[in-house]
Amino acid sequence: MADVLPSAPSAFARGDASQKVRQPIPVSKIATYATLIIGGLLALLPFVWMLSWSLMTNSEVIAGRFLPAEPQWQNYLTAWNTAQFSRLMWNSVRITAITVTGLLLFCIPAAYAFARIRFWGRNVIFALFLATLMIPDIVTLIPNLLSVVWISRLSESIFGESGAWLNNWPSLTIPFMASAFTIFLLRQFFAQIPEDLWDAARIDGATHFTFLRFVAVPLARAPIMTTLTFAFIGSWNSLVWPLLVVSNDDWRPIAFGLTKFVQTDAGDEFHLQMAASVIMIIPILIVYFITQKQFTEGIWTGSVKG
Amino acid sequence: MATNTVSTRKSLQESRRRRILFENLTGFLFITPASLILLVFQIFPVGFAFFVSLHRWRRTPDEWQGLDQYATALGNFAYVAFFWLAVGVLCFGLFRLRTLIRHTAAHRVGMMVIIPAAALTAAVGALIAWFFTLLPVILDIPARLRGQAIDQEAFVREFYASFGYPEVAAAGGLLLTLVIIALLLTVLWLRLIRHRDSVQWLYMAWTSGLLLLAAGWTLALTSSEVNTVIDAAAQAGSPVPIWAQVLIIGAGTGLIGAALWLWQRTAYNQTSANRTYMVSILAVILLVVGGIFLIRELPQAFAEADPNVLRGFNVTVMYSAVSVPLQIGLGLGLAVLLFQKLKGKALFRVVFFLPYVTPFVATSVVFSLIFSHNVTSPVNQLLVTLGADTQNWLRESSGIFTLIFGDGTPAILSGPGLALIVIIIYNVWIFAGYCAVIFLAGLGGIENDLYEAARIDGANAWHQLRFITIPLLSPTTFFLILVSTIGTFQAFTQIYLMRRPGGFPAVDTVNLNIFNQIQRDSPNFGYGSALAFVLFGVILILTLIQNRVAGRRVFYG
Repeated sequence: MADVLPSAPSAFARGDASQKVRQPIPVSKIATYATLIIGGLLALLPFVWMLSWSLMTNSEVIAGRFLPAEPQWQNYLTAWNTAQFSRLMWNSVRITAITVTGLLLFCIPAAYAFARIRFWGRNVIFALFLATLMIPDIVTLIPNLLSVVWISRLSESIFGESGAWLNNWPSLTIPFMASAFTIFLLRQFFAQIPEDLWDAARIDGATHFTFLRFVAVPLARAPIMTTLTFAFIGSWNSLVWPLLVVSNDDWRPIAFGLTKFVQTDAGDEFHLQMAASVIMIIPILIVYFITQKQFTEGIWTGSVKG
Repeated sequence: MATNTVSTRKSLQESRRRRILFENLTGFLFITPASLILLVFQIFPVGFAFFVSLHRWRRTPDEWQGLDQYATALGNFAYVAFFWLAVGVLCFGLFRLRTLIRHTAAHRVGMMVIIPAAALTAAVGALIAWFFTLLPVILDIPARLRGQAIDQEAFVREFYASFGYPEVAAAGGLLLTLVIIALLLTVLWLRLIRHRDSVQWLYMAWTSGLLLLAAGWTLALTSSEVNTVIDAAAQAGSPVPIWAQVLIIGAGTGLIGAALWLWQRTAYNQTSANRTYMVSILAVILLVVGGIFLIRELPQAFAEADPNVLRGFNVTVMYSAVSVPLQIGLGLGLAVLLFQKLKGKALFRVVFFLPYVTPFVATSVVFSLIFSHNVTSPVNQLLVTLGADTQNWLRESSGIFTLIFGDGTPAILSGPGLALIVIIIYNVWIFAGYCAVIFLAGLGGIENDLYEAARIDGANAWHQLRFITIPLLSPTTFFLILVSTIGTFQAFTQIYLMRRPGGFPAVDTVNLNIFNQIQRDSPNFGYGSALAFVLFGVILILTLIQNRVAGRRVFYG
């Protein structure tokens, strides 16, 4: 910290050559760092505990030690096997992949149409879609459960056992394959594509479909990545809906699986609970660090601009 | 030559028309899949949920209950709310109608638009009636087929048979007749009145018709329900003054609204001091009278309400009122600190954002261990070090002030339960970083020149924060307040995961109450839906209030 530059609160120092002289570190700067470091430690402390507890024996956790006497790496293996993480992860990956594919297939054309195609009632329909963002999930939870139970029966009678929606992928994915938020996010982007591009493409004989496929989608890689990240995190974390529509292991997603593991299978084995939590967090962290920029951007787009 | 030009123009027109049609078709084709899903799983469920809430509905549809379940949840206040909601919709519909009349006044037969619009409204009404007559019959198919092997033929046969049920067929016949009439009248209108705005007039008239229809239906339903209740109570020998409550609460709210309106008018109009003085006194009088009305009547209106629901709202409000200021304040502080030129800024940002990114399912496990009732849990160890008694934390439902000041504390002052406090801490830990990220985006939008100018004028860091940063951040702050309030009112996963025996009643928000109705062994979907709508209504009202109150103070630069 010794070479921290001038005193001026940050932004004003930019490009100010005369100030580039070594000065004693001002008190305010030290206070800032101290506050941030204390805050950062508070934010990190639960993670530290999580890691440390995940490496202890259960009696060490109960005894309230801060660090394990000897790291118990096999906890991870035990947790992985007892909680059947291979199965849970595979389920969540499958569910996420299907949801995201559907989401992109359905939302991209819709967003494009709302941004660039003129059709009757476009604004009214779009406003109606946006209005769905105001509806709390709890209102649609009960009717959706009733609908899905019924659709499941119908589909079962038509397609046989594998066509059921309950305890199967359709109930976990199809309701989430369209979201007003995604359509809104992508629409904002498609609306910014210059009209000239479309004119040029049209002269070359492009239809809306070819323009979307070969110009708009390749341009929209960044917002699509954002959508993907959000969809991934949403589906990785989803708990309430699976709790209602899934009752066996075949399609139990990871968040539900972990909750069940913590509440029943490992009710008293805190070290295993911690190890399982760490295992669940890792994929999310990897995705977050890879797509950090899009992620923050997406949060920002969804809020300040909207 | 002449014929040639005419035919060219004709073919041009023809091709233009074809292109527009093609454009329309493409548009509809593109939005169809997403629209279908949103329609089935987002829009239709709202109507369906309302339908469910009007019925006794355990696992399968049962008898019609009207507003009874709302009355179970809220007591007589349910009738008051529905009555004034209907009146509000009615006024809005009439207002739209008035606008329409103004628009069409210039045109000789413009008002004729009422006729096709009324027919269209009736057709939509018939459609809804038919649909919700059909729905229970269709939902009942699995029950009717119980005992038989469910195969494709049986299900499809029952499905088709559903349309032939006498009540469904009657509603369907009415629907068909009304649709044909409405279509004929609409086509006639569009053919006869060739005005630039005729389609828009039709749309306006139609939407105001729908509003009036909804208002009329709700008013009729509410008043018949109220009269039934009054009659039943009179026969039982203990009359209930519901209409009086409706009037008094309506008047009280109206008076307070009028007082606030007067206040704002005087605040924004520069009139003479004398007049301002008079108006202020008037406003205060209105406020006091309105307040007295409400304070007298509201407890009586809520007297029969479900105590669980009231406690749920109490918990929700405490949860929200403590969490929101804390997380936004911390977020602002972090953002302001982080916005300076610092080493390791990116690292700090990631660290503060981490709690928001990691799944609740995982972090809640750690938090429930940190705040465990065990004597050796980290917080209890800290308490012992500080010389205090250990606490049960998540298993402690007593209010925080009861714990601090002893058992003598009156119940009304006991404050949020200790378990709720833990969940609030958890919530703040998660969302402070999120708020900071949003604030950072807002800070990035503030011009540097402003600070520079202020510094030249001798403003210190505090002045800069107070007079530049905070006012210019107000749109961001407003957004965050809105989102956080809605978020805390809808919070589910955090609370559900942190719920431990012993802490139950202190942490059960309305949302948790609703979920309890769904998940227990004998689910009560009807009551759950009614509660969900009550919560929805509260959230909407809060949003509106925040929009009005904060919206005026927000400074958009």
